[in-house]
Amino acid sequence: MPNPPAPKAPPAPGAAESPSSLRLLGVGLDGPLTHSLRPWVMELQAQVEFVADLPHAVRRLAAGHWDVVLTVLGEHPDEDLHWWANALRGRPGAPRLIAFAHRPSMGLALRAEQLGTHDLLALPVRREELLRALRRVGRGTSEVAVPLEATADEDAGRYALVGQSPAMLEVYKLIARVAPSTATVLVQGESGTGKEVVARAIHANGPKASGPFVALNCAAIPENLLESELFGHEKGAFSGAVTRKIGRFELAKGGTLFLDEIADMTLPLQAKILRAVQEREIERVGGGDPIPIDVRLIAASNRELRDAIQQGRFREDLYYRLAVVIVRLPRLSDRGNDLTLLAAYFARQFGAQYGKEVTGFSDRTLELLTAHRWVGNVRELRNVIEQAVIVADAGTVLVEHLPDEIRGHEGSLSGTMAGELATLAEAEARHIARVLAHAGGQIGAAATILGIHRNTLTRKIREYGL
Amino acid sequence: MTGPALRVERALRLLPDLEALTPLRALVVATSRAEAGAQWASSGPYLTLGKRGVEPGQLRRRLDDMLEQISEHLSVLYHAYIDALEALAAGDPAPAVAALLRAGRSEEGPGRLSQARVWYEVALKLADELQDRRPEIEILGSLGRLARTQGHFQQGARYFQRCLALAEAEFDQSGVAEACAGLGSLAAAQGQWAGARSWYRRGLTAAQSARDLKRIGHLYHRLASVDFHEGDPAAALENLQEARRSVEAIQDAEGLARVLAAQGDVESEQGHADAAALSYREGLAWARRASAPAVECAILIRLAEFHLKGDRFHEAEEELRRAEQTAIAHTLSRRLVQVYTLMGRLRGRQKDETGFVFFEQAIELCRVTERVPSAEGRLYREYGNFRSLLGSPDEARAYLEKARAIFESLGETGELEGVEADLERIAG
Repeated sequence: MPNPPAPKAPPAPGAAESPSSLRLLGVGLDGPLTHSLRPWVMELQAQVEFVADLPHAVRRLAAGHWDVVLTVLGEHPDEDLHWWANALRGRPGAPRLIAFAHRPSMGLALRAEQLGTHDLLALPVRREELLRALRRVGRGTSEVAVPLEATADEDAGRYALVGQSPAMLEVYKLIARVAPSTATVLVQGESGTGKEVVARAIHANGPKASGPFVALNCAAIPENLLESELFGHEKGAFSGAVTRKIGRFELAKGGTLFLDEIADMTLPLQAKILRAVQEREIERVGGGDPIPIDVRLIAASNRELRDAIQQGRFREDLYYRLAVVIVRLPRLSDRGNDLTLLAAYFARQFGAQYGKEVTGFSDRTLELLTAHRWVGNVRELRNVIEQAVIVADAGTVLVEHLPDEIRGHEGSLSGTMAGELATLAEAEARHIARVLAHAGGQIGAAATILGIHRNTLTRKIREYGL
Repeated sequence: MTGPALRVERALRLLPDLEALTPLRALVVATSRAEAGAQWASSGPYLTLGKRGVEPGQLRRRLDDMLEQISEHLSVLYHAYIDALEALAAGDPAPAVAALLRAGRSEEGPGRLSQARVWYEVALKLADELQDRRPEIEILGSLGRLARTQGHFQQGARYFQRCLALAEAEFDQSGVAEACAGLGSLAAAQGQWAGARSWYRRGLTAAQSARDLKRIGHLYHRLASVDFHEGDPAAALENLQEARRSVEAIQDAEGLARVLAAQGDVESEQGHADAAALSYREGLAWARRASAPAVECAILIRLAEFHLKGDRFHEAEEELRRAEQTAIAHTLSRRLVQVYTLMGRLRGRQKDETGFVFFEQAIELCRVTERVPSAEGRLYREYGNFRSLLGSPDEARAYLEKARAIFESLGETGELEGVEADLERIAG
C-alpha cells in the first residue's frame, strides 16, 4: 500500500472562478470508468486526479483545495453517503460530492438530497449527466457581500429575544402583560422556537426576579430519575442515591421553576406535580416530611397538550393548572425578516466567541438561508451559523461555508434518476419527504398536511424507502 | 400531533434480565432510532440510547434474521461439541481440542467473554493430554487475553506465564511473542511501564525470528504506547513507523487504522493539531475499508477527545454522536459506555449540570452488559470529576471512592494514583 505521490501545489481557495478551473478528485473508480471520465471532464478544462481508495482520498483532500469529489457508492450506499458527508464537512473549499451508484433507489436519491450531496448519478455514467452536474457546481456564479443587519445589544434586550416581526411583537406584548404576576404560564411552540428564552424573560421581569431561575428538561432525564431530580431524595433512598439530594422544586425557592418538554412526563409523575402545585409542598424520595415550596412555575411543550389529553397521555387537571396563561411561539418560517436579523445576531455572537470578525453574508448565502425549511427553527439557524463561522476565515460568510444540508438547495437533484423530468412516483416520494421533514417526522401531522390516511402514508414511506 | 415513540428505556425495563434474552436486548438497541427532528428539541443535546424510539413492528420484522443468527450460533456450538465427542470416541483428542477452541472463538467474537472462557477452560483440560503442546499454548494465550479484558490481572498473568514457558519449551516463537505481548499489556495496565517495555521487546525479538509480521506490527505499536506514556513522543513515532511498515506489508487495513490512531494521539500530544487530525481521519478511512466498526468507533472517540482537549466542543460533540451511532448500530456496548462517559465530560466542561444523564446512561449500560471493571472504574472517576466541577463535592467523593475501590481490586496502579489525586483535590 504505497503512499500516493506528493501533492502538487494547490491553487488558492476561491481562485476557481469558472467551471473550467474545477479541480476534481475521483475516488475508488475502476479503470474503465476512469478511462471514460477523463476525456469528458477535459471538455470542461477541469483538472482531475484519481486515487484508489478512501484512505488515499483523505490525504489528498487534506493536501489541497478541491471543488468536487467523484466516487462510486459501495454495497452500503447509505452508509457511504453519510461517511462522505462527514468527511467533506469543513474541508478547505467545501468540495461537493457527486456519487455514482448501481441502480440507485428512490430512497437513496432522497437520502442524498437530505445530506446535501451535489448529485447522484446512475451507473453506467452518461456524459451529458456528468457534465450537467459539474456545470451546476456553481463556481461561475459570483457572490456579492451584504453587510450584517444591525442588531445592537439593545435590540436583543435583556430578554435576548431577537426579532421585529408582527408575530414576535405579539409575543413581546403578552410577556409584558404576564410577567408582573406570579401566574403559572404554559409556553407552547415547535422545537427551537425559544421557549426557554421566553421563560427566562418572564422570570427576569416578574416579582421573583431576585430569586433563582431553575430549569429542568423533563425529556432529557431518564424516567426513573426524574422524580428525584424534581423532588430530591434522601441518602440511600435507592441504589444510586449516594448522598442526599435537593430537588429542583427546593432549589427554585423564591424564584422560578421552568419545566421544559413537560409532555414527556409519565402519568404517575404528573399526579405528583399536580399535588405539588395544588398543595404547595413536596416530599423528597425516601423522605417522609412535607417540605413547603415557594416557586413560580413555567411549563413548556413542543407538543400540543390538548392532543395528549385526548390520547390519555396528559392529565387534564394538570393542564388547566399549568395553562393559566398560554404563550404560543411562532415558527421561524412565520417570522419573515427576523431570519436575517437572527442570522446577523448569531454571526456576531459566534464571531466574538471564535475570534473572527464576520462582516456580512453573501447574497447567495442569504438566499439559501431564506429558502431552507428550518424544521429546527431558531436553534437550527443558530447551529448553521455557528458551523459557518467556524469554517469561514473572517469577513463574508459564503455559500461554501454553509453545511451541505443547506447547500443541497443550490444544486437541485432533479434528473437524478433518469433524464430531466421526474416520474410521478419520484415527485410523490420527494414531496412526501419534504412534508415529513416539515412535520418533524410526525407521521400523523404529515398525513394531515398531505390529506391522506396515516396508514396510506406509512405504506408509501415503506414503499419509497424513506 | 402524534405522541412520542415508545422509548428504549421503557422497552428494556419490560425485558426480564435473563441471559437467553440477551440477543433480543441487543436487537432492541440496534433497531432503535432517534425520533425525527429530535436533535432540534431542547432535550436534543442530552439524547441518549434510552431516549431513542423503539418500533415493535421493526423488531418483529428483524426477528426472523435474529433467530436465524442465534440458530447458526447454537449450531456452531452444538456441532463443535459433537465433533469433540466423535474425536474422543475415535481416540483422537487433538480434533476435540480444536473443536472446543472453535466454540470458544465463536463465543468470543460477539463479546460473550464469560461463555468463551468456559469453553477455553474445558479445551485446556483436554489439551493437557496432547503430545502436541501448540493447542495448549493457543488456549492459554486466549485465556490470558480474556482475563486481562475482564480485569482479572493476576489470573491473566498466570495464563500468560504458562503460555510463555510452554512456547519456549516448544520453540514456538509466535507463542512466545503472544505471551510476552500479553504480559506487557498486563504490566502496562498496572502502570509498570519499564516492565511492559521489557516484555514487549522480548516479544518483538521472538516475533521477528518467527517472521510474524502481524505480531511485529502489534508489538511496535505497544512499544510506542510505552514511549508515549513515558513522555518520549519522538521514540513513539519511530516505533509507530515500524509498526506501519509491518502492517502495510501484510495489507492489514485494520492494523493500519489502529497505528494511525496511535500516531494521532502522539501528534496531538505534541501540539501538531493538523497532523493529528489527518492521522485520525486516515485511520478512519482504513477502518472503513477494513469494515471494522469497532475500530472506527474507537478512533471517533479518540478524535472527540482530541477536539475536547483543544476546547473544540462543537467538533467533539459531532464525533461523539457519530461514534454513538456506530456503536448502537453494531451493538458495541463497551464503546457506547465510553461515548457516554466522554459526552458527560464534555457537558461538564460546558458547566452543564444536565450532563449527568450521560453518566447515568453509561452506568445503566454497564449493568446490563458484560462487566468490564476497568471501564466501570473510569466511568465512576469521570462522574466524580463531573460532580466536582459542578460544585457537588459530596457526590464527587462518593463516585471517586467507588472508582478507587474498583481500581484497588484490579491493581491498576496508574488509575489508582489518578483517583487519589482527584480525591485530594476535592479535600483541599
